[in-house]
Amino acid sequence: MGFGDVLFGRRKLKEAKGERLFALSTARITLETELHLKAADAAAVCFKPLSAGEFVRAENELQELLDLAAAQSGSRIERRSDRFGFEWLIVRDPDFEDLVTTVHLISSELQNRGFGPQLLAAAFRFDGGKHPVYWIYGYKRGAFWPFVPMGDQKRDNAEELELQAKLERELPIEKDLTRWLALFDAPI
Amino acid sequence: MKRKAYGRDIGLSVRMVITMLLLGGLYVAFFVALVTFTNLGVVPLIVLMGIFALVQYFLSAKIALAASGAKVVEREQAPELHDMVERLCAMSDLPKPRVAVIDTDVPNAFATGRNPKNSVVAVTRGLWERLEPREVEGVVAHELSHIANRDVAIMTISSFFAMVAAMLMRFGLYGGMFGGDRNREGGAPVWLIMFAVSMVTYVLSYVLMMMISRYREYAADRGAALLTGAPEQLMSALQKISSRMTQIPQRDLREVAGMNAFFIVPTSVKSSFAELFMTHPPLEKRLARLATISREMGQATR
Repeated sequence: MGFGDVLFGRRKLKEAKGERLFALSTARITLETELHLKAADAAAVCFKPLSAGEFVRAENELQELLDLAAAQSGSRIERRSDRFGFEWLIVRDPDFEDLVTTVHLISSELQNRGFGPQLLAAAFRFDGGKHPVYWIYGYKRGAFWPFVPMGDQKRDNAEELELQAKLERELPIEKDLTRWLALFDAPI
Repeated sequence: MKRKAYGRDIGLSVRMVITMLLLGGLYVAFFVALVTFTNLGVVPLIVLMGIFALVQYFLSAKIALAASGAKVVEREQAPELHDMVERLCAMSDLPKPRVAVIDTDVPNAFATGRNPKNSVVAVTRGLWERLEPREVEGVVAHELSHIANRDVAIMTISSFFAMVAAMLMRFGLYGGMFGGDRNREGGAPVWLIMFAVSMVTYVLSYVLMMMISRYREYAADRGAALLTGAPEQLMSALQKISSRMTQIPQRDLREVAGMNAFFIVPTSVKSSFAELFMTHPPLEKRLARLATISREMGQATR
């Protein structure tokens, strides 16, 4: 954050960084072979839609964008809103590479249309451990972090730190632990 | 620490203004006395004031928590609030602050802390219970914008400069009038003039400080609008908070009165007292600005 932001207050949100998403494609191999974690065939993009006057335009463009993304990738895409007023785009595709590509396509299309700063995170699910493992990609940070929920508002921090240690060399992992946002109600 | 806003009955307002000015005046008087009765020069004096300001700055979060009776809550105790704060932080690229709850029915919120890593955001139980989730989100986003804009640091620095200005004014006058000849006769009345000048300077800087504070509120409102993408939610939250607050008896208001500068809406709204002395801009002006932001957001961004 710049000096001007401090002096006058922020005038815009940070732009999203989506390009590092692809790192998960290669990391998946380690996750599967060494940790026996299998990628689920669904991923999700979470963003904050604008209300106010922007709403109608955003709404039209979003539908257009989803049709485009579905047509290009062959993935199925669903929409869902949550109680925090965030919008989830759930991508389903049996092929993991395609899944990552579609998620990237969606986020870069949102960015092209000027909604980049509204992007929050993407979530990818892996199963095979005691608890489901999510790799969450924070668009503002341009980095991944692990999230292992253990049911009722608890997360398995030990497991998460272990995952970090094992994948540090393959994935851009967020170093600041305080940024490891939880997504307990991820719809995947 | 930041300073209070004022009640809506004149008597109380006057009392509060006087209290605040006295408090600041005491500070100035303390340093004036220090100069007069010791041989400290202007530089060590300013250093000493700097130390005072630093102590305030570093203890800001602790002082605010203690003064408001806010309790830090963990995720298990308030999962939804934590989720909300976390997501907004991720959106605005801030580290997650500690989350606190104040056990009172008055809907309000504040944020404090010297930098984003050491900050606390506190909401009252009333805010959570009486407002819609999207409105609470608007309020929390406003508080997070205060953190992002480093408003505690800004206010601490500006109050430090207010003190220094009062001090320098006094020294300047001293030097100017007597040309450095400190042995001249006529001690007491001159002393009084010096004191008065310091005080006037302080009052002027205080008014300026309040202007800064109000400007920071507008900035935080704008930040919240950007963060949530929904300025109208904050608008309705502000209206709800204000209308509720005016209904609540004075007794309850006074319980939280010490924390006004940090709160999203001062606990006593619609003051008939001069806006000049208020930490927060009046509700109507805030709503008008948010409406403008809302219209701007409606225009194509491409």
